[in-house]
Formats: sequence, structure tokens, C-alpha cells
Amino acid sequence: MSTTLSKASAQDRFLTMLDEHKKILYKVASSYCRSTADRPDLVQEIVVQLWRSFDRYDESYRFSTWMYRIALNVAISFYRGEARRSRHTVPAEDSILEIAAEEPAEDGGLQLLYELIAELDELDRALILLYLDGNRYDTIAEILGISETNVGTKISRIKQRLRRRSK
Amino acid sequence: MRTDEINLDDMKQLWEAQDKKLDTMLRLNTRLLQAPVLSKVESAMRRLAFVLGVNLLIDVLLALWLGSFLWDVRAEPRFLLPAAVLHLSVIALLGNGIRQLMAIGGLDYSAPVLEIQKRMESLRAQRLRATQLTLLASPLLWTPLLIVALKGLIGLDAYAIFSAEYLLINVLLGLAVIPLAIWLARRYAERMQRSPFVQSLLRDIAGYNLNAAAGFLSQLARFEAEENHAR
Repeated sequence: MSTTLSKASAQDRFLTMLDEHKKILYKVASSYCRSTADRPDLVQEIVVQLWRSFDRYDESYRFSTWMYRIALNVAISFYRGEARRSRHTVPAEDSILEIAAEEPAEDGGLQLLYELIAELDELDRALILLYLDGNRYDTIAEILGISETNVGTKISRIKQRLRRRSK
Repeated sequence: MRTDEINLDDMKQLWEAQDKKLDTMLRLNTRLLQAPVLSKVESAMRRLAFVLGVNLLIDVLLALWLGSFLWDVRAEPRFLLPAAVLHLSVIALLGNGIRQLMAIGGLDYSAPVLEIQKRMESLRAQRLRATQLTLLASPLLWTPLLIVALKGLIGLDAYAIFSAEYLLINVLLGLAVIPLAIWLARRYAERMQRSPFVQSLLRDIAGYNLNAAAGFLSQLARFEAEENHAR
């Protein structure tokens, strides 16, 4: 009985935290799937992995850092055609993340932005996503598992590449 | 915004504007995420563990049966040799299966991205190498399997039924099939887009998937080491 109750309360806590950070789901899915049809599958994979890992979540870490690590790990594996064990757990006609209005990616500038992100490889894509989302270099380094100096080097390299692209 | 004007600051502004819109646009479908759906995740994983467990159990039973067969024919090299080849193959499969299961079970997706991706890709490369080896070695195993199965299951002597020359020719044909299989796989792997399973199998045999895994591992290493080059 107490196990059932604690599982239910863990689930409530999980759903509340997931709801507060649902934008991460959208941004990761939009950055790693150019086809809108694939996005619900990726979102589902991420949510499934988040829920499976939730009992190991250490509250001394920020939820967003923990969520980013899982979401990016799943997205990169998904992009590479791996990690689809939990497919069809959710009925195909339903979507975990519902979009109430027109997708912002339809906006011209954003569309171009997502196109530029899509030109990057899967690792630089993770890096730029974290940077655009306003994360500090030390947080990006912590999520990706590289040094802060390396984060700085890579960001300036991407800046240079964009500058070259605009010439 | 035009392409020729883009820079990282423009991108950041666009991203922030999107962020504000997303607050009102996105809704989590909590109905889908209630107890029954989330517990489906657990049962799907239990099913997967069950299937993998059954596979391992079959390998264990086969290894035990072959072990006992080896003991029974220890004085007859013509049966001992093919049985030993099969026994070693099953033990190698079993060892690989256990190693993969343990490694998958120990994967923590909340670890840093680079660490998990390196572990996953190494695992993938290991699995692909095992699949390629199993697929390519299987034509060679047919003859020992025939000899051992006939003797062990119904007590018949394959050497007496088929003659030693016939069995030897089968082994040689098995050897010839290996380069032929690689050639066919390389030729047809990219043409099988309508059948992803067959295509993936052909890519495994041709070694393309293994090359891709090795390529991604190098990409990960470069990503990690770039800082040193930049200095």
C-alpha cells in the first residue's frame, strides 16, 4: 500500500517537474528531428527515459541539468537510429506534448535558425542548443562532460563558421 | 532576417522570443502520462528483459548439452572436433550476451552526454562485430551442426550417411560463401531501402554499420579533444 502511494506521489512530482520544463522537450525534439512527424516519437522516448531514471534523480542537482542530459542522450541515440525500445507505449494517435497554436518554427526567422542548427553535427547541435537556452559555460560543460575551456573554444568556432557563412 | 546577416546574437534573440511564445503554446498531455501509461513503460522493459533472459537460457542449455556431448564422445575425435567448435561458438555468444546485458543495465542516461554516447557507441560496435561474425561464420557451422545433431539427438553417424568427402565439400562451400556474402551485402545493402530489416542485416554483414560506429567514436574523441588542438 505504502509502495503504491509513494509511487503515485513520485509520479505526481515527476509530472509537475516535467510540466515546468516541457519547453526542453520541444526544443530538443525540434532540433534533432527536422520532420515534424518524428517529433512525437522522440518526445515519447525522452519522457520514457526520464521516468525510468527519475528514482535516481538527485535533488541537489538542478532538474533542468538532469533533464537536458537525458533528453540530449536520447535525442542523439534516436538521431543515430538507436534506443527505440519503448516505441508504441503511447497510442500513435496521441501526443505527449500538445501544441496549442501555430508552431513557432513556421515563423521565417525561426525556421532559418532551425535550419542552421540542423547543419551542425549531433554534438555541436547539443552545444548550441544549450548555449541559446542561456546556460552558462560551466553548466554546458557539466551537461556535455567536457571542460569549460572546450565549451568556449567550440562556441567561438561556431561563431566563426557563421561569420564565414554570411560572407 | 536574411541568411547573410545571421550571427549568434541574432540567433539568441530569436531563441528567447520563441521561449516566451512556448510558455503559452505548449501543453503536456497529462492524461497520457497517468499511472496506466507510465506503468506500461515498466511492463515493456520487463518483456524485453524476459526475451533477453530466454535467449540467454537457451544458450546456457545448449552449452550444457554440448558439454555433456563432448564428454560422451571424448574418445572419438571425428565427433569431438565439430562439437568443440560448436561449444566454443555458443560460449562466445553467451559471454557476449551477458556482457551486453550487464552493460545496458548499467547505463545511466543522466550521466554527461559524451560519457554515455561513448559507452553506447562502443557497445554498439561490440554488438555489430558479434553479429557480423555470427552471420559470416554460420555457413561454416552447418556441417559441424549436422554431425553433432544427428549423433547427439538420434544416434546417427553423419560420416557413414554422407561420406567424409561430402562433408568436407560442405565445409569448403561454407568457406566460399563468406566472401560471396560480403560481396552481395556490399552490392545490395543500399538498394534495400524498402526493407529496413534486410538492409540493416546487409549493412551489418558488409561492415558499413560497424564503420559508422567507429566513425562516430572518432567524432566523439575529436569533440572531447578539440580544446588541445585549439591551444
